[in-house]
Amino acid sequence: MRGVRLFQYQSIHTQIALAFSALILCTTIILSYTAYRLSSDAVTGTSLEYTKELVRQVHTNVENYIYSMESIASLALSSGELKRYASLPRQDSEEGEELGRRLGDYFRSVLASRKDMASILFVGGHGGMVGGRSGESLKPSSEVRQQEWYLNAHQLEGGTAITSSHVQQLYRGEYPWVVSISKALPSTAAKPSGEGADGGVLLVDLNYSVIDNLCKQIQLGRRGYVFILAPSGDLVYHPQQQILNTQLKTERIPDILESRDGTMTFGRGAEQKIYTVSTTRFGWKVVGVVYPEDLARNKRAMQGSAALWGSLCLAVALSISVILSFRLTRPIKALEGHMKLAEKGDFGQRVEIESTNEIGKLARTFNVMIGRIQDLMEQIVQEQEQKRISELKALQAQIKPHFLYNTLDSIIWMAETRKVDEVVTMTSALAKLLRSSINQGEEWVPLAVELEQIRHYLTIQQIRYRRKFTYSIEVPEELYPYPIVKLVLQPIVENAIYHGIKHKAEPGHIRISGRRGAGGIELAVSDDGVGMTPEKLQTILGGTPRTKEAPGGSGVGVHNVHQRIALAFGPGYGLGFESELEEGTTVTIRLPELEDKGGSAG
Amino acid sequence: MNKGWGVVLAVLLLLAAGLGYYGWTSGADAKSRPILLIPKTTDPRISFWQAMRQGAEAAAREYGVEVQMAGMAAETEIEGQIRLLEEAILRKPRAIILAAADSNRLLPVCTRIKEAGIPLITVDSGLSAEAAASLIATDNYAAGRQVGDAMGALLKPGAKVAVISFVKGSTPAVERERGVRDSLEEKGITVAQTLYTNAEEELAYRLTTELLQTAAASELDGFIGLNEPSTVGAARALKEGQPEGGRVPMVGFDSSMREIAFLEEGVLQAIVVQKPFNMGYLAVKTAVEASSGVAAAPWVDTGAVTVTRSTMFSKANQKLLFPFGSEAYGGLVGESRE
Repeated sequence: MRGVRLFQYQSIHTQIALAFSALILCTTIILSYTAYRLSSDAVTGTSLEYTKELVRQVHTNVENYIYSMESIASLALSSGELKRYASLPRQDSEEGEELGRRLGDYFRSVLASRKDMASILFVGGHGGMVGGRSGESLKPSSEVRQQEWYLNAHQLEGGTAITSSHVQQLYRGEYPWVVSISKALPSTAAKPSGEGADGGVLLVDLNYSVIDNLCKQIQLGRRGYVFILAPSGDLVYHPQQQILNTQLKTERIPDILESRDGTMTFGRGAEQKIYTVSTTRFGWKVVGVVYPEDLARNKRAMQGSAALWGSLCLAVALSISVILSFRLTRPIKALEGHMKLAEKGDFGQRVEIESTNEIGKLARTFNVMIGRIQDLMEQIVQEQEQKRISELKALQAQIKPHFLYNTLDSIIWMAETRKVDEVVTMTSALAKLLRSSINQGEEWVPLAVELEQIRHYLTIQQIRYRRKFTYSIEVPEELYPYPIVKLVLQPIVENAIYHGIKHKAEPGHIRISGRRGAGGIELAVSDDGVGMTPEKLQTILGGTPRTKEAPGGSGVGVHNVHQRIALAFGPGYGLGFESELEEGTTVTIRLPELEDKGGSAG
Repeated sequence: MNKGWGVVLAVLLLLAAGLGYYGWTSGADAKSRPILLIPKTTDPRISFWQAMRQGAEAAAREYGVEVQMAGMAAETEIEGQIRLLEEAILRKPRAIILAAADSNRLLPVCTRIKEAGIPLITVDSGLSAEAAASLIATDNYAAGRQVGDAMGALLKPGAKVAVISFVKGSTPAVERERGVRDSLEEKGITVAQTLYTNAEEELAYRLTTELLQTAAASELDGFIGLNEPSTVGAARALKEGQPEGGRVPMVGFDSSMREIAFLEEGVLQAIVVQKPFNMGYLAVKTAVEASSGVAAAPWVDTGAVTVTRSTMFSKANQKLLFPFGSEAYGGLVGESRE
């Protein structure tokens, strides 16, 4: 799947948009192309049909004209007068003159009735001529009999000769373009020479402009035209006769002459032409010429419009696809954002579910998941806390063995030296201390109890460190009922003794005071011992819990106390240290002012 | 790909489509402008220009362009032709086809046409300097030689002829006369007289009549006309001024119905015919090509044909001498034929 690999480093949004775009591009191109092909084929088809139709029309019209002329000729030839006139041995006789006049009148009337007829003329076999006009300018018969139409009529012996377009030169100074229909009259007196020509020839000229107009008005596309080809290969009509068969222009006349009716294509490229041929009954071929380029012109227009609409559709569709993919992937992106938050540890957030589709389901699952994770986290936190609390409880429940040994040693020593009173005092204090430490399960005690405990402790320590220190407890009585975490004061006092006063030459003093502060109750344990260096103070405040028992003993105790208070009440509460070397140390314990918790609390 | 990128893409596509559409229509617009044809004169009696117009129209139809014709009533109205061209520059046609009435005086305006970027095709008569993309004309020198050859075939060496020329100093007149003289010289025939008719038939008639009344006329063995009005005018004068049977031969130039009638009557022995239809056709073809950016041949010779009485009705010559659709139709439909 190389294609997939291509999108490897891109977003799903891009992938969807690209996929859409590719799809749309393909379909649009295919659609535009097929639309163009279909319409162009249709147009080509219709124009060819149309050409055929027009060519047929020209064919019919031309045929009708020629036949009407032919019928006029036949009619004239069948008249008795003409037959008589033709059969006269001498047409310049009196009878001939008379007949000629009457024939002339008849011809004139025919000519007057037919505007499309240029001339009508009978050339007698014996040199007499009768025209449809009072023509003194008629050329002599000898010259007329040399002309093509006359010769053609002769060759056909009674058939109708159609001479394709030419300049008629019957009258001086007049050169009309005509199509001649000529018919020879069968000789009445058959001559031994076998020439049936002497019966004479009747000529009817069709005005060329009739055919010219017929064909000129035919418009085949932009450049197409119609031309008419005689069987001889002569052009009856062509719009560009003057330049035809020069190097400028040629038609494939031999090919057309041999061809059947129908459509043919000649040439290549820009010079390609489509010929539509239709053959009349007298052999003329009406040819319609269409340039495929003309059709291509329409094709270009169609291509243009197909391209235009195609690109418009494409543009619209692509923008829609971009918007769509954006819409589709937006929830995914949102989900991704939420996941990033979760990565950073925010499990309290929830994804807003907008839809019921897969992404909605995904979001819901995600929500469930981070809910579970959050629960688990909380559980873990609680468990950890519980663990810590139980650890602490275990810790606080223990009276340090050292202390016990030392105290017991002291008691033994005092017993040996018969200091009975002191033994009693110490032993009872120790017993009370031990009882309270055995008395587990109560984490909270009223301040009064705690102070009682510390008194016992201090009693013991005072006996042990004889005349080493004095102490005073100055806590207002109104604070007594307030609950306090059990065994908070003892480690601090222990520190004050071991680290503050023990190394001092003269006796020290430990003062435990209490007051109601802004944020709750503040207890302070101050000594006037050796104090601490700022570095040492820093390590204590930094609160690196030292699990290893320092040889000096404390550390862990103080830290644990701080932890316990913070755990119980929040980060605002706990211990504060102030110390100055050679001046002493003050430890402040800040506790919330709680309602009487009445014994134990979780 | 973000949303903005997609929008940009869409906008670009639309823009491209719009531009394509605009280019496609504006291109069509440039192609649909007409081609202007300015002959020396639009005088309907001179069939040369009519045939040229027909040729131009045939080509216009074939190439699907529009050809508009404008011109002066007489060949001598050079100022008028200059004015026409100046107006034409403002109209910005697709191309201009010009038969220059004067090869020098039209040069400035033709230079301006060239500067305006309008292709200029000269037809029949060129300009004295390079300003047109192409000249489509008869090789007048060669045509003159054809006239001389036709005349020479009728006369013996040592004969003298009069040449009836048209506008003195105009390029075709000079070239034709040079051709005539060169051809006659080879046959030992001399040109005794040259008349200039300003291409006006009446003046040609008058001058020739006057010439025939001079003493020198008896020494002339032949007449030569160098364009259509000159030929017709001189032929009329000869027909009237010389007795039947005692006429000297004349060779004419170009063709018209009246020249053909003179040819049939025997007043003219031969005419050298140009091919105005082909000129018109080729001029439009060249104009279409030139305006489409195809390099045009600088000079196209359309050739000339010598027609005598015996060859005038041959198939090829019929088409040349008797153009369709003009006064050549001895009777148009609906016209009286008396």
